[in-house]
Amino acid sequence: MIEVRGLTKRYGDVLAVDDLTFDVEPGKVTGFLGPNGAGKSTTMRMVLGLDRPTSGRALVEGRPYAALAEPLRAVGALLDPGAVHPGRTGRSHLRVAARTNGVPQRRVDEVIELAGLGRAARRRIRGYSLGMRQRLGIAAALLGDPRVLLFDEPVNGLDLDGVRWIRALLRRLADEGRTVLVSSHLLSEMQQTADRLVVIGRGRLIADATTEDILRGLGTARVRVRTSRADELAAVLRRHGATVERTGAAELEVGGSSAEEVGELANAARVPLSHLSAVARSLEDAYLALTGSSVEFPGGRTEPAGTATGVTP
Amino acid sequence: MTAPVTAPAGPGRDVPAVRVLARTGAAEWTRLWTVRATWWFLLAAALVWIGIGALAGLESAGDAAQGDPAWVVASVAAMPAQFLLLVLALTAVTGDHATGGIVPTLQWTPRRTVLFAARTLVPVAVTTTLAVLLALASAGTAWVAARPVLGLPAGEGVEVLATVALVVAAGSALAVGLGFLLRSTAGALIAVVLLMLVLPLFLPQFPYDWTAALAEVLPGSGAAFLLLGEVPGMTQASAVGALLAWAGGALLLGWLRLARDDANR
Repeated sequence: MIEVRGLTKRYGDVLAVDDLTFDVEPGKVTGFLGPNGAGKSTTMRMVLGLDRPTSGRALVEGRPYAALAEPLRAVGALLDPGAVHPGRTGRSHLRVAARTNGVPQRRVDEVIELAGLGRAARRRIRGYSLGMRQRLGIAAALLGDPRVLLFDEPVNGLDLDGVRWIRALLRRLADEGRTVLVSSHLLSEMQQTADRLVVIGRGRLIADATTEDILRGLGTARVRVRTSRADELAAVLRRHGATVERTGAAELEVGGSSAEEVGELANAARVPLSHLSAVARSLEDAYLALTGSSVEFPGGRTEPAGTATGVTP
Repeated sequence: MTAPVTAPAGPGRDVPAVRVLARTGAAEWTRLWTVRATWWFLLAAALVWIGIGALAGLESAGDAAQGDPAWVVASVAAMPAQFLLLVLALTAVTGDHATGGIVPTLQWTPRRTVLFAARTLVPVAVTTTLAVLLALASAGTAWVAARPVLGLPAGEGVEVLATVALVVAAGSALAVGLGFLLRSTAGALIAVVLLMLVLPLFLPQFPYDWTAALAEVLPGSGAAFLLLGEVPGMTQASAVGALLAWAGGALLLGWLRLARDDANR
């Protein structure tokens, strides 16, 4: 169990994490989703006592992480897999970790097997691929057989085999009743593995619900409508509380209103329609809609020129 | 924190602070000897210390007065050789910051004062022990090379070895403290060399009283006085005082930075 309460982190003028409150429950894979720079890593670092919160607190199994005498037996975490001394062998790295928490040295060999490091464990970390470093980080996370696990972007840099292995591992750990928090900026990845999603953007909580609920909620239908009197129809729809986006000279995309309602309003206003359809939104679109206003460094729009005229925010 | 009446057997159980420190110390010991840099600095220190011992011994085989103590050689050789041990202690701290290894380190040992204590005690104890052994080897080598010209009186030996131990322990503590404070190998190295070598050497060359006075309170002047005995204006007490004050000050500042700041920002 992880409890985050009003967690806030400010770096100078930048509010990296803004009053976050959520729980991560045992027995489930909880996805921690947000665009790059949303504050996911900073939040995890504060949970692990690496960074000091500006305000608020985070408890792991009811205690602050820094109060744990044997943290590896309670919490395993994979943060930046590159943050290790490259001159040590993988095995030495794990031996040091075991020493710090009174974990028997034979457990080192167990997690080396468990993480699929095999003979690479006797080589210096300098020569490891990113995938091998991820596996080393996961081996360290599993060392103390902890009840709580945090993984920051664990599939980054992994090949397909590695990605599958991580997914299966996360599922197994949750099925064993452990608390699993895994961050990602990819909704498609979270869709595959997470039971629950905590979505953040610009350090703020955007959503906290089951993956299913979030995807259903995100998938609110939008309506595409074409008419030669687009301006007139747009005005009518806005009066009735719909959001209208001009997607072409004679085309509108309408949110907050069903196709039936748009049809009835057009009929009542005597605006002839040449096209009326519900637009199925892809999950990625929905995710972008959810976090779009909270991307720290938004890229330019990539639509072809001419179609984005008259966009209504 | 509300501690349960009976300690839980699983995670979160309380472990005596002494045991946590002992474990962290054992981990620091393993950390130190599982990187090559430690071995290189040790090898280099041995070469310099014993090499100077051998050369000085061979040279004095012809002309030194009968019965001069070989310990002087070990003490003089300590002046350059100590820097290799100081760098060994320094990189034991800064290596983790340079590589990002401080993140897993603090994950495994989140009690920062415990980490600070272990990461100070282990390198300082290691360099001090090595210094005593190498000084002994240096004097022994000089004695053998010069035989039968130089003597090896036990009483003076104890004094020289204790002085070398004090100088290297204080210097290592200074290096460790600066490592914690600056979190950068290059930065801490420059600071150590300035305080221990460059400033004590150059400040007295300027024609001002205040530069000379400043030089006298630097740790390098204290080390030079204790090892070589040729620093005008210094006494045994002022030399020891300068060394210990700088070491203590650097450790205090280093501890504050580790205890208060984010892990690696």
